[in-house]
Parts: sequence; structure tokens; C-alpha cells
Amino acid sequence: MKNLFKTRYFVLIFLLILSIFEANKISAKDKLIISAIPDQNPEHLNRMYKILASELADQLKVSVQYKPLTNYPAAVTAFRTKSLDLVWFGGLTGTQARLQSPGSKVIAQRDIDEQFHSVFIANKKSNLPIINDPNDLKILKGRRFTYGSESSTSGRLMPQYYLQKAGVENHHFKRGNAGFSGSHDSTIALVQSGSYEAGALNEQVWKQRLSEGKVNPKNVIVIWRTPSYVDYHWLSQPNLDERFGKGFTAKLKDVLLSFNKSNPRQKEILELFGAESFIPAYDYQYLDIEQIGRKIGKIR
Amino acid sequence: MILNKPVLCILPILAIVPIASNVFYDIHPGGINLLYNFFSSALNPSFESDVLYAVFNGLQDTISIALIGWSVSLFFGISLALITSDIFYILFKVPYSIKKFLKILLSIPRGIHELVWGLLLLQILGLTSWVAILALAIPYSCLNARVFSDQINALDKASLDSLIQIGSGPIQVIITGLWPKIFPVLVSYGGYRLECAIRGATLLGVFGLGGIGTELQLSTQSLQFREVWTSIWVLVISIFCLEKIIERIKDINKIQKNIKHFSVIGLIIISILLVISVIRLGGLNINTSININSITLPSVKSLLIAINNIDLVKLISQTLFISLLATGIAVGIPPIMSMLFPTSIGQDVIAKIYMICRTLPSPLIALLLLLFIYPSLSVASLAIGIQNMGVLGRILKENIDRNDKFIAIAFEKSGASKSSSWLYGKFCQQSNSYLAYSLYRFDIILKETAAIGVVGGAGLGWKLQESLSSFAWEEVLIIVATFISLTMIGESLSGSLEASLNNKKMQSFNPTPNVSN
Repeated sequence: MKNLFKTRYFVLIFLLILSIFEANKISAKDKLIISAIPDQNPEHLNRMYKILASELADQLKVSVQYKPLTNYPAAVTAFRTKSLDLVWFGGLTGTQARLQSPGSKVIAQRDIDEQFHSVFIANKKSNLPIINDPNDLKILKGRRFTYGSESSTSGRLMPQYYLQKAGVENHHFKRGNAGFSGSHDSTIALVQSGSYEAGALNEQVWKQRLSEGKVNPKNVIVIWRTPSYVDYHWLSQPNLDERFGKGFTAKLKDVLLSFNKSNPRQKEILELFGAESFIPAYDYQYLDIEQIGRKIGKIR
Repeated sequence: MILNKPVLCILPILAIVPIASNVFYDIHPGGINLLYNFFSSALNPSFESDVLYAVFNGLQDTISIALIGWSVSLFFGISLALITSDIFYILFKVPYSIKKFLKILLSIPRGIHELVWGLLLLQILGLTSWVAILALAIPYSCLNARVFSDQINALDKASLDSLIQIGSGPIQVIITGLWPKIFPVLVSYGGYRLECAIRGATLLGVFGLGGIGTELQLSTQSLQFREVWTSIWVLVISIFCLEKIIERIKDINKIQKNIKHFSVIGLIIISILLVISVIRLGGLNINTSININSITLPSVKSLLIAINNIDLVKLISQTLFISLLATGIAVGIPPIMSMLFPTSIGQDVIAKIYMICRTLPSPLIALLLLLFIYPSLSVASLAIGIQNMGVLGRILKENIDRNDKFIAIAFEKSGASKSSSWLYGKFCQQSNSYLAYSLYRFDIILKETAAIGVVGGAGLGWKLQESLSSFAWEEVLIIVATFISLTMIGESLSGSLEASLNNKKMQSFNPTPNVSN
């Protein structure tokens, strides 16, 4: 019996650990659930969306919760299954989500999203030259090359589109396929280490990492910058007006568009987003992305 | 006698040769800095309150998910085991053909890895805790059913017969005849399954289904190694505690003396934990009812087109290649390590390393390896191999510890070196069963490749991710079907191989060698 008590003791400790952090229980009240595709480091996203959530909550007078995600297709699915109300999508994932959830609305984008770019980076040891003519992307044939996440617009879709235009298919890369590092940061790390000779990623993330000193420009250089395309945007569920009152979606849009740098909290949000302001965005802007998505097979 | 059994058992280590020769040329110094950062962060994990809060929160979610999924799978496992066991058909006079049908039916969900279940259920149920719970519960129920029904079938029929003879009803036979005999297995295998469930729930988190896996993945992807280690240590410590608890409960003799007591107490404790877990996950939205989201099923025509478009032969051969080499590593390394470091300190250190290896989800191991090895199929094998080595190492050690040490001591006294007395004294007794177990492991590893494909952009796992992210259901369907067929073929192959290796020792090895994770 003595041992039995010891066992109970262990179980009790186990129970205790479980219940210690039991404080933050969710109430049943209707909440605006916001989320974002995980294109950056979680710390950054967490900070960014927590401030945004409280700013939106204050202005819209509803409770707002940020739900972190780790994977791009999960964001699309969660939007389709109505688990998320307002999501910061990339060009491709947003288009996928919109096509799968009829009635959803493109709300806004950042000023920089109208003309977004990807960069192709290379490890210096690869001796890859700077590319001026997009047709010269051919020199990447037979090299070790990585994309980011398989659903990323800037880390996969657009780079693959331009590679295809230059006659480079994924099976032309060394070992029969390109890599999929999973994120922009991993792409930088894997190219910087030399495991991949070259890779493609979001220009904004690249610039940010450069300015933070997280990239050593002696090891990694930009060899090509894609022409511009539209990228990230806010997408909202069609049922927000029913749930939160008439005109809610329009109000939400107005609030986002009204963010400016003279308000300290809004300034912080905009800086974390790497933007000067949010601007209106429309479905038709993403027709090109849709077409390219279909061509590459990411939209069926 | 060169190919005697212990040597045969170490043979899988030959898988190291192709991997080593591949990897040797592929290792490069570029990632040394990052690697150094990674390992030095082990001793310097992040203690920032934000990080700790997120990690603990994640851990609780993971444990809650694992607990609920596990309890459900135990319940259904036992029920399904009963209705697929021989005795059931004798007791209730049900036609035998139903049993065969049920057995085949149950082998299908088992052929799909919990991760694949998770990704599929996510498409139907949306982002709720149910997804992860069901993803664990469905395949685990079928695994448990198989293991428990095998155990029930292996029981001595005579004592049950005599119960029937004296006129006991079917329920009585089950409670008084079966339960006491099955209970110890239930405790030891069930406990092991709980650990699997926690690992499974963590892996599901890595793919975005919440819990500590999500934290782990997010911080790895952004190379925040100090935060990565916070998660790793928290996970390692909790699994360590769990193992200790299970070890204490597992003491078979003690249980057998007091089965009623243990059954009741076990049931109470599990119920308490269950209630806490359900509350923890926000009541699981039971009252809001689950939204089933239909996905349009692909037409036959689109399926045919997809079959043409997918290079199945290439994908299958890549997957088999990854699995074979990974199995080689997982099976071959533990005996060699034990032979090289037979001292008790050596064994202890190795056991700790195994523990960390089996705690780390394989996609994370892969990403770390990729920092200093050029991408290739070998990296994928290595990643899965390392994780499974952690599991096999422990199973080997447990079984060797259970054996008597006299033979090894005798060898040592006769002047043999510590290593060879370990090999011939301890390992020899286990080698057959270890080899048989390894065959089963191949099947599990085959399923696990679903988690790792992304590494080199190769194999069925990669194609599954790619098709899922393109929302191409016809391709998803084909790949899942391929996975199921492969694991079913593997199961029957390893079943017949095992039969040819079978001897009495085999059964003494790990109460349930065939299915584990």
C-alpha cells in the first residue's frame, strides 16, 4: 500500500502542474478571431498581433483574439471552416481562401503590398553571378535551390513563376527537386550556411534581417529581384455584419485604413508591419496571382 | 556460425554505410556557427516570462489533447479488442466471418499515421481541438484493439472454458476470467501508449494543430534556439516524469495482487484528468456542435488524371529508400552503442541522449541536420532514424535489464571484455526478438515518412504536403491510399518474417512488440 500512496503522490503533482496555469479561461462571448499566415518569427507576430488586437478591440468595441498558426494551408482551411474571422494572408493563400469561401472580402493591404518583390539570394561560395536579364535564371539549373513555405507567394509562387519563364523547372535543380525550407528565415539560414546555394524569399523580410544584422552580407548576396506583384492582404468572413452588427465590416475597414503614425500605438503597429499605412485593396488586383497559381498548380 | 543471431541483429547498421558515404561528402562547415549556437543554447534556454508562459500553456494543451485522445483510444481499443477476439465469438455465438471483416476494417485506419489523420480531419472539422484528439484516437484505437485482442487470444483457453462449463454468463466470464489477465498488459502497454500520444500530439502541433509542438516549430523556424531549448527541456522533463510514474505503476506483481483496487483507482484518476483536460481545452465547444465542412469529392475522371500526373513509382521508391535506411539506423545503432559503452555511466548517458532524440519531432531534427549537411534523401532517413533510435534504444535497454545478468557476469568472470560479455551475455538472449521487433519498426517508420518529406522535396510525404497545400483532393486521396497499401503490405510481410523468426523468447520481449510508435 505504501507504494500505492507514492504513486498517488506523483499523480497529484501531475494534476497540480496541469491546473496551475488554469486561469485564462475563454468566455463564451462572440469574439473577433484574427490570425495571420506564419511568415515571420513568432515573437514578432505575437507582439504585432497582440497590439493590433487591443487597438481593434478599443476602436470596434468587441473583444478580439489573436490565434497563432504555424502552417499556411492550415490558415486557409481554418478560414474556410470559419474558425478565423479576419486573416492576414499572402497573395496566394488569400486567393485560395477567397475562392474556397465565397463571399469573403478583401479588406485592405499595406502600402508596400501593391508593389511587392521577392529576392533571389545566393551563398558567395556558389559563385553565382548577379542576374540582370531574367532569362539568365537558367544558371540556377543543377544548383541546390530552396523555396520557403510551399504556399508562400513571395517565397515560392512568384519565384517559381519567373524560373519557369526562364525555362527552369523544379526537377532541373540538383537532386531532382527544389527544397522547401518552410519559412523565409529558414531560407536565409540554409543559404547562409551553404546547404543550399541559392534561395528565394520575401524582400521585406530580407531587408529587415539585413538591418537587424542577422544576415552576414559577406556570405549571402542578392542576385536578382523580381518585378513587382501584389501580395499580402486582409481577408474577412462574409458573416461579420450578422455577428457583430450592421456595417461592422465597413467599420473594420475604416479603422484599418485610418491607422497613421501620429498615434503612438498605431505607429507601433505600422512599424511592426513594415508599412507607412494600410490602403484599400480589391479582389481584382489578385487576378494575376490567381492565374499564376493555376499555372503552377497551387490553385485547382 | 559467422552469421549468428546477435551479429544478424547488428547487421542493420550496414545502413550506416550508404548514409555515411553520402553524408560524409555532404557535410560542410557553413552551418557550424548555427550548430554551435544550437548546442550552446541547450545550457542556456530562455527563461523570459513570455516564453515560459507560452511553453507551459502549450505543454498543457498537448498533454490535454494526448490524455483525451489516449483515454478514448483505450476505451475503444478494449471494446474493439473484445469483439475481434476469438473468445467473443464463442461466448456470444456470433458468426466467425464478422471477425475477419472487422479485422480488415480496423487495419485501414491503422495504416494512416496520426499526422495524416490530423491534416485530413483539419480539412473537415476546421481548427478545433477535436482534430488533434481524433487524429490520435482513431489510429490508436485500432492499434490498441489489435494488441489487446492478440493478448486475449494468447490466453489459456482452458481456464475460460472451465468458467463457461460451470455456467457463468458471458459478462461474468469477461469480468472474472479475462479482465484480471489482461489488466497488467493494459497498464504497461497503455502507459507506453500515453507516452506515444504525447509525442504524437507534439508532432501534430508542429504541423499547426496547437500545443507545445506549435511553439517548438515556430521558434525553430525562426532559429530562436534558446526558446527551442525551453520547449525541449520542458518536454523532456515531462516525458521523464511520465515514464517514472508508469514504471512505478507497471510493477506487475503488485498489480496482480490487487486488480480491483487498481482498476477502480485507475479509472478515477483517468476521469479526473479527463475532466481537467476537457475544461482546459475550453470545453471542446461541445455545445456549439461540430461543423462538418464538406469537401467536394473528386470525380473518377479527375482521379485518373491525377494518377497519371503523379509519378507514384518514384515517390514510392523514395519513401521506401528513406524508410529502409532510417530503420537501419534506428535498429543498428542501439546495440553498437551499448557494446561500445557497456559501463553503467555510459549506459546512463546514452539513455539520456535517447530520451532527447525521441522527444524531438523528426521535422525539427531534419531542419537542424540541414544546417550542415547538403539536402538529400539521406538527411531525411537520418532524421527519422535518429528519432526512432531513441525509441528502440529504450526498448532494448528495458528488455535487457529485465533479463537475468548471470550469463553476462559469467562471461566477464571468464575474462571476456565488457563489450563482448554484453554482446554474448545480454544481447544474445534478446537478439531474435529484437530483430522481429525491428521488422515492425520498419512499418512504423514508413508511416512516419509522412512528416518528413519536405526535407529534400522527396517521397510521398512531400507530395502529400504539396497536394494538401494545393487543395488537390484527388491527389491527396491517391497518396493516402498508397500509404495505406504500403503499410498493409509491410505488415503482412513483417508478419510472415516474424513467424519464421518466431520462438519462445520472442514473446517474452516487450509484451507487445508489434505495434508501437
